[in-house]
Amino acid sequence: MVPILFLLTTIVFFSYNIDNFISVSNFIDTIRQAGELGFVVLAMALVLMAGGIDLSVGSMFALCTLCALFFTQLLKWPVAASIVATLVFGGLLGSVNGILIGYFRLRAFLTTLITLIIYRSVFDMLTLAYAVNIATATAESPTWDWIGSGEVLRLPVQGWVFAAVAVFGHIFITRARTGWHISAIGGSRRAAYNAGINVRWVIALTYIASGVLTACGSIFFAARLANAGADTGRGMEVTILTAAVLGGIRLGGGRGSVTKAVLGLLIVILITDGLLRMAVPGGPSRVVLGCILLLAAIIDIRWFKNRGKLIQEVYVSPTYLQLPPAPSTAADSGTAYAVNDRLRDVYSIGVGQVESPEDVILDNNDDLYCGSRHGDILRFFAPDYKEMEVYAHIGGQTLGMAFDAENNLCVCVGGMGLYRVTPQRKVEKLTDETNRSLYSVIDDSRLRLADDLDIAPDGRIFFSEATIRYEMHDWHTDALEGRGSGRIICYDPRTRHTHTVVSNLIFANGVCVESGGQSILFAETWGCTIKRYWFEGPKTGQVEVVIANLPGHPDNINRASDGNYWCGLIGMRSPVFDLVMRKPGFRTRMVKQLPEDEWFSPNLNTGCVIKFNASGEVLESLWDLHGVNHPMITSMREHRGYLFLGGLSNNRIGRHKLEGADPDFMQYKTSRTGTRHV
Amino acid sequence: MFEAIRRAGARVLGIGEGSLAVPVFDGAYTPNNILEEAPVLFEHSGLEDLAIAADGTLFAACGPEILQIDPDGRPSTIAKFDAPVQALALLADGGMAVAVGGRILFEGGAEHGKQLATFEGQALRGVNALSSGTDGKLMIGEGSMRRPYPQWSHDLLEHGHTGRVLEYDPSHASTRVLASGLQYCFGVCATGGKIFASESWAHRIVELGDMGSKTGSTTMLDALPGYPARLGHSVDGGYWLSLFAGRTQLLEFILREDDFRKEMMRTVPPNYWFAPSLLSGRDYLEPQQTAGVMQMGIMKPWAPPRSYGLVVRLDNKLQPLYSLHSRAGGRHHGVVAAVESADHLFVLSKGAGRILRVPLAQLDSGLNRRSSPS
Repeated sequence: MVPILFLLTTIVFFSYNIDNFISVSNFIDTIRQAGELGFVVLAMALVLMAGGIDLSVGSMFALCTLCALFFTQLLKWPVAASIVATLVFGGLLGSVNGILIGYFRLRAFLTTLITLIIYRSVFDMLTLAYAVNIATATAESPTWDWIGSGEVLRLPVQGWVFAAVAVFGHIFITRARTGWHISAIGGSRRAAYNAGINVRWVIALTYIASGVLTACGSIFFAARLANAGADTGRGMEVTILTAAVLGGIRLGGGRGSVTKAVLGLLIVILITDGLLRMAVPGGPSRVVLGCILLLAAIIDIRWFKNRGKLIQEVYVSPTYLQLPPAPSTAADSGTAYAVNDRLRDVYSIGVGQVESPEDVILDNNDDLYCGSRHGDILRFFAPDYKEMEVYAHIGGQTLGMAFDAENNLCVCVGGMGLYRVTPQRKVEKLTDETNRSLYSVIDDSRLRLADDLDIAPDGRIFFSEATIRYEMHDWHTDALEGRGSGRIICYDPRTRHTHTVVSNLIFANGVCVESGGQSILFAETWGCTIKRYWFEGPKTGQVEVVIANLPGHPDNINRASDGNYWCGLIGMRSPVFDLVMRKPGFRTRMVKQLPEDEWFSPNLNTGCVIKFNASGEVLESLWDLHGVNHPMITSMREHRGYLFLGGLSNNRIGRHKLEGADPDFMQYKTSRTGTRHV
Repeated sequence: MFEAIRRAGARVLGIGEGSLAVPVFDGAYTPNNILEEAPVLFEHSGLEDLAIAADGTLFAACGPEILQIDPDGRPSTIAKFDAPVQALALLADGGMAVAVGGRILFEGGAEHGKQLATFEGQALRGVNALSSGTDGKLMIGEGSMRRPYPQWSHDLLEHGHTGRVLEYDPSHASTRVLASGLQYCFGVCATGGKIFASESWAHRIVELGDMGSKTGSTTMLDALPGYPARLGHSVDGGYWLSLFAGRTQLLEFILREDDFRKEMMRTVPPNYWFAPSLLSGRDYLEPQQTAGVMQMGIMKPWAPPRSYGLVVRLDNKLQPLYSLHSRAGGRHHGVVAAVESADHLFVLSKGAGRILRVPLAQLDSGLNRRSSPS
């Protein structure tokens, strides 16, 4: 953004001061220069992104120019051969830097400063020896001339080749593995090393690429001028650095793009060109460039230092969300939601042993499994659930749980993705990414907050990702956005393929396969709705609303023994919060001006469990009115006549006796052997 | 014009009056759980005000009645009226003054049967504090001229500044205004020719200008961490200040957000507004703040309080010495009155509907030497 403004300012400034600044001939001339310098800027960008710096580009440029002229004009090699030879020569020059900095881990600044001096001295010696010969010889090759001054579709060759390389570079940096590695190393060398990236080789590679790209630019330069003056490439590193930093490529590494490099290049060329035409001598012109570089570097450093603070202030991006008036929950309202105290006398399990059991599940031995915020799956043993063990260590907050046909315990892990624990307690990753959305600017392929899951009869796992914008620890901040950032994702174990099936959900949460085996029910927590998605049958792919307007925020959904469904409401809607959700500007100012503790939050202190049928009628509700045991209910699981309750911010699991429920009901038919490791 | 620019600048930069910061519970306001753990003397819904006679007899206004509370907590009805009592004061001659249904009535003593029904043609519906002044005069604190007493949260959200202090002289049946335009007057206290009043929405205690003259008032204590309520004498010449709720930055923010505030007042029932409250956590339709989400079964006591219990001991120059707390997630909130007997401090928690009896020995031994929060 800032570089674009700067570019426009530059254009306006020079247009105002110089007649005929914008003209066709001038434009073509600009492109010719841009083509040659552009390769070098790309070279510098690549090195900068990996966290290095290459000051020797100017000297390499000079040597390569000389080299190209030597092959074409003195040795009269064919053009193609000379080009290849020059590129290889550039690569060799670069590899000296690469080996010293990448493998011997010398300081990039000092090393390239030294190579700058050495290469320059070599160049000076060689020009003394060959300058006259080169100047008098000619290439006598139309191809060579065409490279220097030819045009394709009225635009210079340099421009076309540079455009092609730039497009390739863009794809390479943003999509290719090595491109990502470069950014990763620039961002944090140690983290990149820990992630298994071959840091030394990639760094060496950037310097080699820098040499090759510089050679590329020098070939066009050599072809255009057919001469290598003594000051070829002198001071070029300042120009190039200015261009890179002005474009917005970070000096410290980790951030940059081809677009930024090109932007910076245009600015610098316009400035130098403009100053030249305003008859500013070379010296002052370079001083101007140096000052701009200094200024840009200061801004770059200050910006990077305070960027986090700024992003923290502006990250939350609220939108308008209008919910219909909430149904009444008053005790005398006569609705199925009427408040009661049926959960008051639950049997508490694991008080002081478990923290944050978001979901609970039971096997055929009646043993109980739950997640915890310490990254473990805990198992409590029937019949009294007083004894427990760490069943498996996963490493993240375990959320939704389900057993598959092979008795594997499949779990959604916040911040990690979809995992499973085999009966032998082996933890395996199923998936942690999905397909990237077609029109999304940010890469949304990684799973940030896999939330709840269920398994279709054919083994496909349908799971929800609550939001793509927040991590596990600040999931509730997503409520302030009211934005459709959640999605339903399908993982097919047969093909190991993951793809998004429904997106733009307002905090996608509970998932439950319906008894027909052709559809799932899913909850949208901040949208206060329950919807159905058909994955098979005549309505395949359709989404329909089951419950349009809940009085609270729904979480997990599970089956009840009577063919209906249970849903936990983590908290009830409050009239003021409903109003807050209709005021995006108000929320934006609130998050900017107040600390997080003071923000409005959805009510998460009083929830309930509801039972509803497939047509969306709510049949009954169970409350813990005073919130003594279960202020926030995120899940409930019916098992052999009991209802087990979990809560994300709670320190216990509840067991409630269901009157008249099927005493043999289990949601998942498992046949697990009870191996204890206590 | 410079003033306007200065204000706009303060608002943009978030400094001075533009700041949303609220004072923290620190120094003399360091939290403890004394109020929360204090023994309960008497419990009844509708408790409103306390008064104590020189012999230590405790009187309480409770609903439409005046009760005398025995040391063991047994109530006996002394007087009953046709509307809830809003304020109570004992007079020097043994009688008492009561604010009820827009009038001030005198019970017992020399002035028995007298009443102040209107002032300047208007009923006094906003009266929330009475106290005896010099020469048998009565100090009357009126929170707002526009809103009756139960609608104090309306007055806060409307930036109310129509509080008054009146002085009634029963011997001449004359009334005069000592101060007006206060940002919700709640609590008046006269000491040796000086009159102090608490201004709730300005979070401060002011000394009114010279009797009768209209010179401005002087701020004695400001930047209170809560909304001050009634102010009473302590035995040794200092004062007891009750604060009926704690301040939150979110409320300071909402007081600037005119559009949101007006729509909230128009569309949401008053008990569910985002406004300070005398009691909270009992109804799930109340608004909530991020830090108020219960974690592992408890609400963190440092969460921004929707309601809070706080009594501050002030010295004779109205500087705070120490304070008694019932913190966020607690029960003894909405403290509106505190009176001192020979060996106890009686605190009225209107939110909980309780009179608490705090032994003074506990305070003297512990708090004067700056205890840490328990």
